[in-house]
Amino acid sequence: MLSLRPVLPSLLRSLPSILSRPKSHIDKSSVPRLDQADLQEKVTLGSGPGGQAVNKTANAVFLKHLPTGLWVKCHQTRSVEMNRKIAKQLLVIKLDNLVNGENSVENQKKTSEKIKLERKKDKTRSKYEQRKLESLKEQSEGQDGEIS
Amino acid sequence: MSFLMSRALARLVCGHHRHSVLSVRTCSTQTPDSSTHPTLSQVLDNVTSQLSAAQVPEPALSAQYLLSCCLLPQADLHSARPVLAQDWRQAPAQHLSPAQATTLHRLVQCRLARMPVQYILGNWDFHNITIQVRPPVFIPRPETEQLVDLVLSSLPPPVPGQHLHLLEVGPGSGAVSLAILSARQDLLVTCVERSQAAVELTRDNTSLLGLVDRLEVVQGKVEPGAQLEGLHEEYHLVFSNPPYILRKDLMALEPEISLYEDLRALDGGAKGLDVILPIIELAGEKLPKGGLLMLEVDPCHPHILPTKLESLDTSMVVDRVVEDFTGKERFMVLRKT
Repeated sequence: MLSLRPVLPSLLRSLPSILSRPKSHIDKSSVPRLDQADLQEKVTLGSGPGGQAVNKTANAVFLKHLPTGLWVKCHQTRSVEMNRKIAKQLLVIKLDNLVNGENSVENQKKTSEKIKLERKKDKTRSKYEQRKLESLKEQSEGQDGEIS
Repeated sequence: MSFLMSRALARLVCGHHRHSVLSVRTCSTQTPDSSTHPTLSQVLDNVTSQLSAAQVPEPALSAQYLLSCCLLPQADLHSARPVLAQDWRQAPAQHLSPAQATTLHRLVQCRLARMPVQYILGNWDFHNITIQVRPPVFIPRPETEQLVDLVLSSLPPPVPGQHLHLLEVGPGSGAVSLAILSARQDLLVTCVERSQAAVELTRDNTSLLGLVDRLEVVQGKVEPGAQLEGLHEEYHLVFSNPPYILRKDLMALEPEISLYEDLRALDGGAKGLDVILPIIELAGEKLPKGGLLMLEVDPCHPHILPTKLESLDTSMVVDRVVEDFTGKERFMVLRKT
C-alpha cells in the first residue's frame, strides 16, 4: 500500500498559499463613489400631468455627474427603476475610467485579459515547437534505422 | 367610441381573451405589398411615418416596439416574453417574412386605433418584475415604481420566522404588490380589488411569478360603510395607487387611456378623493398605532387633503409628502395616531 506520509506534508505546506490566493487580481479600492448631490437626473417622461393621467412608453434615464460633466443615457429596460440603477452603474464606470485611467476596474480587466491571451498564445507556440521537435527527432531516428 | 365597443374591438383585433388560443386576425382586408422586399430599417421608417401621419403619440418608439414584436417566433406572441424596443436590431434576417409582415400589419392597425403599446405587447416591466397586461385593466405607470421603494424602505429588517402582513387597495394588474413581494421573502399581501378583470389578472400575474402562497386577492369595493370580507383584523402597512384623477380632467385623457383602460381605475370624483377617503378610513381600522398608509395621489391632494381629514372621523394624520422623479408631489404617507 502506498504511503501518503511523504505527500501530505508538502500538500499541507502549500495549502495556506492556495487558500490565501485572491480570486481576482482586480483592485476595486479606488472606484469612485457617486454623491447624490453631484448628480442631475432626468427621466424622459415629458411634461404634462404625469401619473395616472398619462401613459407613455418612453422611460429613458439621463444621468449627469455635474463636477465632471460626464453623462450617460440608459433605456435598456422598460422599467424606470431598472434604468436608473443601470445608469448609475454605467456612470460609475465612466467616472472610474476618467479618474483612475489605466487603473480603472474596466482597464484592469482589459489588461488581465490581454495577459491571459498572451500566455495562451505562448503555450500554444511552445506546444507547436515541441511537437515539431519531436516529429523531426522521429524522422531522423527512422532514417538512421534504415541506413543501418 | 363607447367604452364597451372599444373593449370588444380590443379583444377582436388583438385576440386578448384569457382562454383563447392566439390567432392572427386582421381588422382590415388589405394585405401588405411584399414585392419590394424593404429592409427592416425601411420598414421601421414606413411604420413611423404611418403612425406619425395619424398623430399617434411616440410614433418612432411605438414603431420599434411593433417591429420587434412581430419578429418574435409566432408561439412567443402574447407570452410573458419581454420585447424591448431595440430587439429588432438583433434580428438575424434583414427582411420580414410574409407571416411577419402580416403580423406587423395587424399590430400597426392596433396602434393606429390608439391601443397602448403595452396592451399590444401583452406584457410590461415594472420595477424589478415583468407582468402581463391586458385591457381594460390599468397599465402600471413608471411613477408608481417609487411607491414600491417607499413601502420597502419603511419596513423593519426581516426577522427569521416572522412575516409582515400588508394590505393593498386596488392592485389592478398586481404590479405593486408583486414587485414588493419579489423584493422581500418575509412579506404576505392581501389585495382588495373591485374589478373582476383585475382580480383575474392579479391572480394570473401572481401565478406567473410563483407568489401564489404570499398574495391573496379579495374582490370588493372600498367605499363608505363597506363591509369587506376576507380581510385580516390588522395589517402592518396599507398602500394604494387609487383612482385619483379629478372628474374634470377625466375627459382630457388621451384615447390610449379613455378608450382602453377601465375608467373606474382613474376616476376619483369631483376632487379626486372619492376612493382615497374611504381608503383612509379603512386604514384607520386596520392599522396599529403608528402604522402607515402610503398613497399615490394627484399633486393637488397634499394641499386639499389635510382639511378634508379634519372633517373625517379618523385617527389618520398626514406624516409626509414625497415627490416623484419629475418633482411633482406624488405620494402621501399617513400615520395612525
